[in-house]
This record gives sequence, C-alpha cells and structure tokens, in this order.
Amino acid sequence: MNTSPPAPDAAEADDLEDLFENAPCGYLSTLPNGRISRVNRTFSTWTGFDSGQLVGRRFLDLLNIAGKIYYETHFAPLLRLQGSFNEVALDVVRSDGTTLPVLVNAVVRRDEAGAIRLIRVTVFNASDRRRYEQELLEARRTSERAGLALRDLNATLETRIADRARALERAWRLSRDLLAVAGTDGVITRVNTAWTEHLGWQSSDLVGRSFVTFTHPDDLDATQAAFAGIFGAPLTKPYEYRFRHLDGSYRWFAWTAAFEEDEIHASGRPTTAEHEQAALLAEAENALRQSQKMEAVGQLTGGLAHDFNNLLAAISGSLEMMRTRMGQGRFNDLDRYMHAAEGASKRAAALTHRLLAFSRRQTLDPKPTDVNRLVSGMEDLVRRTVGPSIHVETVGASGLWPALIDPPQLENALLNLCINARDAMPDGGRITIETANRWIDERTGWERDLPPGQYLSLCVTDTGTGMPPEVVARAFDPFFTTKPAGQGTGLGLSMIYGFAQQSGGQVRIYSEVGQGTTMCLYLPRHYGEAEPGDTPNAVSSASRPGQDGTVLIVDDEPAIRMLVTDVLEELGCTAIEAGDSAAGLKVLQSNVPIDLLVTDVGLPGGMNGRQMADAARVTRPGLKVLFITGYAENAAVGNGLLEPDMHVLTKPFAMEALAFRIRSLIGN
Amino acid sequence: MVFAHGFGCDQNMWRFVAPAFAGEFRTILFDHVGAGGSDLTAYDPDRYATLNGYADDVVELCQALDIRGGVFVGHSVSAMIGVLASRKAPEIFDTLVMVCPSPRYIDDAGYEGGFSAAQVHELLEFLDSNHMGWSQAMAPVIMGNPDRPELGEELTNSFCRTDPDIAKRFARTTFLSDNRADLAGVTARCLVIQCSEDVIAPVAVGAYVHANLRDSELVQIDATGHCPNLSAPVETIAAMRAFL
Repeated sequence: MNTSPPAPDAAEADDLEDLFENAPCGYLSTLPNGRISRVNRTFSTWTGFDSGQLVGRRFLDLLNIAGKIYYETHFAPLLRLQGSFNEVALDVVRSDGTTLPVLVNAVVRRDEAGAIRLIRVTVFNASDRRRYEQELLEARRTSERAGLALRDLNATLETRIADRARALERAWRLSRDLLAVAGTDGVITRVNTAWTEHLGWQSSDLVGRSFVTFTHPDDLDATQAAFAGIFGAPLTKPYEYRFRHLDGSYRWFAWTAAFEEDEIHASGRPTTAEHEQAALLAEAENALRQSQKMEAVGQLTGGLAHDFNNLLAAISGSLEMMRTRMGQGRFNDLDRYMHAAEGASKRAAALTHRLLAFSRRQTLDPKPTDVNRLVSGMEDLVRRTVGPSIHVETVGASGLWPALIDPPQLENALLNLCINARDAMPDGGRITIETANRWIDERTGWERDLPPGQYLSLCVTDTGTGMPPEVVARAFDPFFTTKPAGQGTGLGLSMIYGFAQQSGGQVRIYSEVGQGTTMCLYLPRHYGEAEPGDTPNAVSSASRPGQDGTVLIVDDEPAIRMLVTDVLEELGCTAIEAGDSAAGLKVLQSNVPIDLLVTDVGLPGGMNGRQMADAARVTRPGLKVLFITGYAENAAVGNGLLEPDMHVLTKPFAMEALAFRIRSLIGN
Repeated sequence: MVFAHGFGCDQNMWRFVAPAFAGEFRTILFDHVGAGGSDLTAYDPDRYATLNGYADDVVELCQALDIRGGVFVGHSVSAMIGVLASRKAPEIFDTLVMVCPSPRYIDDAGYEGGFSAAQVHELLEFLDSNHMGWSQAMAPVIMGNPDRPELGEELTNSFCRTDPDIAKRFARTTFLSDNRADLAGVTARCLVIQCSEDVIAPVAVGAYVHANLRDSELVQIDATGHCPNLSAPVETIAAMRAFL
C-alpha cells in the first residue's frame, strides 16, 4: 500500500467495496481488544451469521473449544510477538452448529504512532484441504500400524517359528498313525515312531528303502498306481494296502498323501483290526444266511415230501382200485380212478417244474413270441387272480419286437409278478403291465448286468407298499420272502430270475417305500417274425392215424419206450426202439430211413442224447429231433437255444401232447 | 526474579515485561522441558504427567542458582507450578506473581473453572486426532514463510517452539490439573493479575485463587485475552511494581 493513497473516486470505491464484500475469502477487521469491527459478505454467507450478529463479538467466540484455547495460547501471543500469523488451521462454528474448516491469516495494522489500529483477519475455506489431511493422516496411521505390526511380527517370528517347529515335532512324535516322508522314487527318508509300534521295524530298517519292498505282492500294482497318482493330485480318499511286519505277516493301513516340495508326505491309519472285524462279520453273515437257507430247504423238502406222498397216495391208490375193480370185472368206475391218477400226476409234474425253474434247470423251449399278444391273452386271468379291488391296465408298445422265449414260462412269470403286486396292495390299487422296446448301450448294460443290444421289456408296476433297498437287494434270493410263514415259498421271484437269466435277459426292481414297485423283465429281441401263438391246451384229442413215417425212440426207461411206441403206432408210424446211445447211434448210422428221432437227453452208452443227435446229423443232415427230458442238462440242449429242427418236450407230458408234437414234426 | 512461561509458548512471552525489572532484579528466564530451547531428550512422560514434575524443575533450578527470598513470576499454568514449587521449598520465593492463574480448568461442584468436562475432553480428543492441523504441521507452517525463508528461520528460532508430542502431553497435564488444595499452603505473598476477558482463566477463577490464598492481592487489568504480558505489558508491569 502506498503511504499516501490518492482519494478514490466513487466508481473505484464501489469496485473496492465489491472486492471486499465478495472476495473468495472471508475478511474480518478486529479492534485491538479482539472485537470484530467489520466483516465481509463472503464470511457471513459461509458462517450463516449476518454482519450485525458478528460485529462486536470476538473472533475466538466463533471457534470451537480447541480453537479458542489455541487462539489464546498460541495465536494471540504469536500475533503480538510477530505482528502476523499465517495459515492457522481452525474450525469456525456456523450459526447452525456445524463446523467450517478454515485457514486463518492475521496481520496487525498499526497507526503512525505504532499503536495497534486493527487486526486484519483473512479466512480461507479449507474444507477440501482438511479432508485430504484427514485422509493423509489416516493413511499414515495405517502405515504406522502396519509398520508396528511388522516390527512385532519380526520380533516374535523367531520364537513363533520355534514354537511351531516344536508343535510339529510333538505331533510327529506322538501320532498313533504312521507318518512318512519319501522321495519321488518311493524311497523312505523319514518315519515316526508309530512304525516301530505297528510294524516292528526300526527307523533305520525303513529309511533308504522303497515302500515297494514292504508291500504285499497282491497289492503292489494298485499301490504303485496310487503312488503315481499322488503326483497329480493329493491322495485324500484313504487308499488301503498291506505292509509287511517285521515278523513277516502283513498289516492293513489306510493312506492319505500329498506331493509337496519334491517329497511325498504320507499318513497311514492302521486298519488291520477293521479288516479282521469286517471279515468276521461277513463270515457270520454268510453262516447265518447258509443256516437260513438250510432251514428253508428243510421246510421246502418237508413240504414237498408231504405233497408228493399225497400225490403218490392218490396215484397208487387209484391204480390199486383200478386193479381191484378190473379183477372184479367192474369196468364202470375205472374212469374215475384214471382221472384221479392223472390229476395227481399233473400236480406232481407242476411241482417238479417249479422246483426246476427255481434251480434254473428247467428245460426251456424258446420260441419267437409276440409278447403283446401273450399279455393280452393273460389279461383276463390276471384280473380274476388279483380281484376286483385292483385295477389292471395294460399298455402294449406298438411295433414291439418279438422275443425269443418260452411262452408258458413267460406267462407264469407275468402271473407271478401280478400276484406279488396284488400282495403289495392289501387295500387295492392299480397294476400297470407295460411293454416297450429297449436299446441297452454299454453303460446301461453294465448297470443292469446285460450284454449291450436290443431287448424288449415287460414291466409290472404296482401302487403298493414298495420295498426298502435291503429287501430289494435280497428279493431274488431263493427262499427269501417277506410274506408271513406259510404264505409264500420264497421261490416266485427266484423262478422269474432263473427264467429271465436262462432266456438271456434280466429282471430289475425299482421300488420306493410307500410309492410302489416296478418289476421289469428284459428279454432279448428275436430277429424275425413271431410264431402264431400255439396254445398247448388246444391239443386236439382227435388222433389222425395213417401218417406214415419211421421214428427212432431212444430211452433207457422201458416204460417210456413202450408208451412212446404205443403213441407212434396210434399215429400209424413205424417205431424203432433203442435202450442207450450206442444202440441208437448204430441205427442212425445205418441205412434205415428215419423221419424223426425221439430221444432222452440223459442216456447210458457213452453219449448223451444231444451228442448222439449231432453225430447222426453228420450223415443225416436235417434229421428232425425231439428231445424228451425230465430235467435237461442245459448245455446238452444248447441252453434252450436249439438248432433248427431240434425240439424239446418236457417230461412228464400228456400222451396227447406227445402225439401232437410228433405229428406236427413229421408233417413238416 | 524468575519468569516461567505457560502452555503454548516459551520464555519469549516475557520479552515485553522482564526487561523492565532487569535493573532492580537478577532476572532469570527459562524454558520448560519440551518448549523453546530446552533439551527435548530430558522429557520424561511420567515425570511431567503432573505439574509436580515441572515444579521440581523450578526448585532444582532455583537451588542451583542459590535463590532465596526471590520473586516468582508465573504465567497461566506456571502460576500454579510456582505455587507447588513454593510449597516444596518455601525458602526460595517470598513473593509469587500469578498472571492469569487457574488451579482447575474444569467446572466442579461450587467451582467455576470455565470449561465443562466435555469441553476439555473435546480439546484433548482434538489434540489426539488432529495434531497435524494443530501443532505438528502448523508449527512449521506458522513459523515458516516460504517467501522469506530467512524470516521463517528467525521466527522459528525465536518464538514459541514446542515439540508437538510434548505439547499434547503438556496440554493434557495442564487442563486435567486440580491444584486448588495447594493454594492454602502457600506462605509467600501473592499477586494475582486477572484480565477482564479471559476465556482460559475467567474472572471468577482469579477471584477464587485470591480468596484461597493466605496473603494475596488481586489486580484486574483492562485487557482481553489470556496474555496481558504481551497484550498489555505496560499495565502488567505497573501492577507488579505497585505490588512489589
């Protein structure tokens, strides 16, 4: 400022006034006693006080408590001593109580005599700067704290490492599991003392040798594969193998391991005791099951003996009565006794049939079969069997492939499944019989225990009680039954299982407790047309003699030879008899014309019936053969899959059924 | 005559007053530990956690200088330091001049100290949280003058240097002190100089001090603020002369 400023004109005065009032900082003039004498508009606006409220107050009255004290102890003294004071950071309290961070400059203006004329205070809004300072302070504190933490860490690191090392050493020493470190070649470099305890070896026996040396030979390949796997991923699912004890015996351990820092670190939990217990348990279970089976076999054979005795009593009684009546010349009642004997024989035959089916030794006569037609033929019978409280529905797939199966056996199986379904629904419900074509791929085949290929399925679904998994698992076991004693033989599902397996198929159960059960039979597809269904019951009793032909009958049972010969003669055929395979073959290798060979399978004379037939076909290709057999060695008759023009008739058979088969074979 | 400065400054506080007595008295000026040119390494937080530590310094200093029957002139908190020193060694001073004294800053039952406990708490919290703005960053900014570094250096070296951390502790010691009970034991003659408008030591506090001293005189001078030794040196000197 000039010492003698020229008097400003009015415009200049206005200009200066505007500059004072509206400058981007607050201006205050205070008297020597600190009281405000003038304040500009900017400061009024910032603080919310109008100029009238500010004039007469002291500047320090506008400060917060810390500012007041600072003002009195630092600001005011220094202003006195220095004549000015720059950039003091203070907080001004606004009229609404909020604070305005400011930077304050002050300068003392003196008059010519040196007395204080006024104190000029300049106030800058420092809101932004204060915020940066706070952030800076916070950042510095954070970094100081981090620095302190780091110093602490450094100071304590050594002891902590030592503590940790001791803890690890203790864990290593006290572990009851085998702990080991090995190189990538499997050579053991370090073991804990548990090895001596469990295996007798000292550390020096083990270190430097590969684990392979101690591994049970049977486990070696799998163990080496597991070891190789550790390099790819840590072995977290315990792997068990046998490790040799000092005494030469082997002990089981379940290992987990990881590959870290070029070493294998492994931990092995001893499991020998678990294995021994598991083995004992399995043994006990087997023994229990065996005794259950024996008990069931005992019950069954007892029951069968009882049934057979009844039937034999009926047959022998009838025959005796017939002989008596014939002796008396009374021929009128003979029919009655004949019927009684025949009925008893049929029941006996049915009984043996069931037994053979369960033992999977029944003789099957598979034919290409339209299963849909078979099911619809059974529908009535099923309905009558399950009763009115159960709704039966059949869903036959259109275009269903033919199956190569023994139709009566499939009927039997279907009826059995429906009876089981009925028994699972004591309060009624619904049975759905469904057929479908199925393609079984590798994976599904593996799941269902079937070779991959094309099958058709026959499923019976009920809405009954369902079965828990443990019952499903045993459902096919012979003699397993959930029915009360005396109500089921436990053979039903077993027979179905035997039949399905023998037919090259499978049975599967899907069941949920409370929801119901689906039983599915998978049957192999037959490539070709189904034969028109022939019904064994439809055999005509009208024999038609006069069908010329020569038939060789080979059976070691003279009664059977006699009966067959009689049937043949009834048919007008010439019969040649042989009592064993050697005699039979001699006839077959002669020049005698033979239209049909009827033979038992089990024969004396060095060959069975099949071998004899095969040998005969060398010189007589296309020789028609009918095997009659009580129980077929399945291999002998091709597991039910016979060559063309080879057929099977199961003993016992009705003479009429025999006549029908012979007639149809010669007629072809 | 020993001059002791208060919180916030150093012996420069006395530059307008002390020279007036240099003719009649042997005048002694010193900086408390942590202020001015004192040896900062001598600062011991435990020793200076109460005013007793500062009073011990005064006693040691005066004994070293072999002062007996002297005059102690204490500003602000140092007035109370003088009271404590006088009680510890009554033979050193027979006169205490107390400029704007306060035996307790926080209001108490039946006592008006000028500050509520909350206000002092706010002050101390402010010091803790904001020392960059208040003392650490400010000291150099206040003292420094980027345009005239030679002046900055001169000012920095001349006036009110305080170590920021020690200043914080000194503020705590000062504003939490309560030496009311010590007043009664003072045997020396006392002059209480009170300003008419002082935020830190209100008129009522001066009256309290005067009332609780055995032998005292109260002079209220017409000066605003807490530092009449700077803002009203003439009146201060006059009051002292009149008393002495």
